[in-house]
Amino acid sequence: MTELLVQQLVNWITLGCIYALLAIGFSLIFGVLNVIHFSHGDVATTAPFISLALAQALATAVGASGPAWLILAVPAAVFAVGLIGVLLDKLVIRRFRDAPAMMALVATVALGIVIRELIRHLYPQGSNPHAFPRLVSGMAFEVSGVAISWFALLVVVLTVALVVMLFVFLRLTPLGLRIRAASEDRIVARMMGIRDARVFRATFFIASVIGATAGLLFASYAGVTRFDFGVMAGLLGFSAAVIGGLGSMPGAILGGLIIAGIEVLAQTFVPDGASYRLVFVFLLVIAVLIFRPAGLLGRTVMEKV
Amino acid sequence: MQGSVSLAAPGKAAAAAFAIASQLCGAAFLYLILKVDGGWQVVGLLALLGFGFYLLERLPWIGDYALASFARASLLAMVTAAVVVVAFPFVVGSNTYMLHLLIVAQLYAVLALALNFQLGSANIPNFATGASYGIGAYVSALLAINFGISFWLTLPVAALAATLFGFIIGIPSMRTRDTYLALVTIAFGVVVQQLLNNFSWTGGPNGLVGIPAPSLFGHSFADPLVIFGWKLPSQANFYYLSAALVVVAIVTAHRLHGSRIGLAWNALRADEIAAKAQGINVAWFKVLAFAVDAFLAAFAGTIYAFYVSYISPDNFTFLVSVTIMTMVIVGGMDNIFGVIVGAFLLTILPEKLRAFADYRLLFFGVVIIGFLMIRPQGFFPQRMRRYGGDL
Repeated sequence: MTELLVQQLVNWITLGCIYALLAIGFSLIFGVLNVIHFSHGDVATTAPFISLALAQALATAVGASGPAWLILAVPAAVFAVGLIGVLLDKLVIRRFRDAPAMMALVATVALGIVIRELIRHLYPQGSNPHAFPRLVSGMAFEVSGVAISWFALLVVVLTVALVVMLFVFLRLTPLGLRIRAASEDRIVARMMGIRDARVFRATFFIASVIGATAGLLFASYAGVTRFDFGVMAGLLGFSAAVIGGLGSMPGAILGGLIIAGIEVLAQTFVPDGASYRLVFVFLLVIAVLIFRPAGLLGRTVMEKV
Repeated sequence: MQGSVSLAAPGKAAAAAFAIASQLCGAAFLYLILKVDGGWQVVGLLALLGFGFYLLERLPWIGDYALASFARASLLAMVTAAVVVVAFPFVVGSNTYMLHLLIVAQLYAVLALALNFQLGSANIPNFATGASYGIGAYVSALLAINFGISFWLTLPVAALAATLFGFIIGIPSMRTRDTYLALVTIAFGVVVQQLLNNFSWTGGPNGLVGIPAPSLFGHSFADPLVIFGWKLPSQANFYYLSAALVVVAIVTAHRLHGSRIGLAWNALRADEIAAKAQGINVAWFKVLAFAVDAFLAAFAGTIYAFYVSYISPDNFTFLVSVTIMTMVIVGGMDNIFGVIVGAFLLTILPEKLRAFADYRLLFFGVVIIGFLMIRPQGFFPQRMRRYGGDL
């Protein structure tokens, strides 16, 4: 029993970290731009494909294939996805900044379709699932009879590092201060001489880099990646960000952990729970929003008359 | 009051001529876009459409003139519309594919009109229209398959079941709003779809097969329709049935728009707190919007189930709800005519883009994004309410 418990605990933490990273992107972009970037999950899903393609290209260029190429390709892919995020903002999303919220949502859903189809067409045999290896293999140590893998450790360490870096960046750097100012009040921030174009660029880059990391970790966790993983990744990440409270970073992390928790719980303790896991997840989402309409850690906005 | 005939106030004959000519042009365009097959012909027709909207945008008096003509010759316009709708299957003839597209487009028009009560009139996001559609389809199909209940009886039962679902989704809407409410409806939609996908009595992912065709006065809808010696394919039955549903939906929408309920919804959209201060029961009208949406969507679902005689959870996913939402936004929020045009275009377009084979979804996504950027207010933006009097 303890073995099962520890094993599920590890699963929960791993999955929770991945969802939290996805949710941070949604929350960050919403906080600054007031736009739901629904294709964020698809942007994240491009990362494993780009790394696979890069590793392939490197291997053929040198003439020797090996797992080392993937390790080299991953940081490049993360950076590239950051640039893709900035490009999407420039081409599409910024035009819906002042539009009604639902229009931005519909536009970014359409953008998600475009990204998915581009993956499918540009990647060789893009319609099929592609195997994605564990980024690190092997077991690190044992806790009461359960071996903890290096991969789980990597996920946790990477998540904590990214969150700390994001926190330090937002609190202690001038650009972070500008981002916070713009998310507080864009117009006043402009009056204070903050160039919002730069703020948006930085926000999208950071959110997409964090999303790309989540996408890579998820593909590595599942051992496989597919062009349409982004739909579910987007829905779950968005849900995590919303039940945590949009715009709140601790909320996004909390939301990710809760959603992963209910998923793991359903799979472990409910018979046939694996096929019903989404039902449990979204029932929880409904319940949370009925009792906390602005999310768990969201600011309740008092309406001014 | 100068009595002179200006462009915006057409004379009786001009109005009649315009009403008839514009509807015939519309029907001809619909026929052409259903008929053509090659990719570049479709693109050409789209360009023609784009040019039309460009003209509308640059020369706003065309729109005013059209509205005035239809208002002036409203009876004649309605008769023309009825004749066009009834005659269309005769023109199409034995081309069942065209009829099939028209039926699906009409059902989507009903769904888009249903969502329009919420999104257009009251600006309440709802991503669960697809789920209400699915509930309608499943309830009626299960009743027909397991208990042999006739189509005409399952129709109201399915609508009632879906309305109940609408009330249930409506309840959280009293507390949550905007993006949070959008997520609640997304969650309801996913839960329903996943349950349909997992229960054994709904057939699981395989869905339900062998839904019997309805019959009316001894005429089975699976048989070809024979009118005055003309033999129309069996799809024509469902074409007329769904056309009747569209008419019901339009009349409902029109009456609701003109009623106190429609006004209350518009007041909610403009400013919720101001509406509350005016004594409007905000919670009730929000829940009512959800219920009306689910009610109409269930009708569409029932007809769909009996038409294709095979349903599966894949027909009612989150993306279906997003498509319906796109139809409303692209067509023009709170504009009945615009919403119908949006539904037809977005149903027919992906089919016609089959000429681009594998690239059609990509093309579709690009078209939607481009459209939202170029004309964010929709094809036919909503107009100011008019209360008679001066034109």
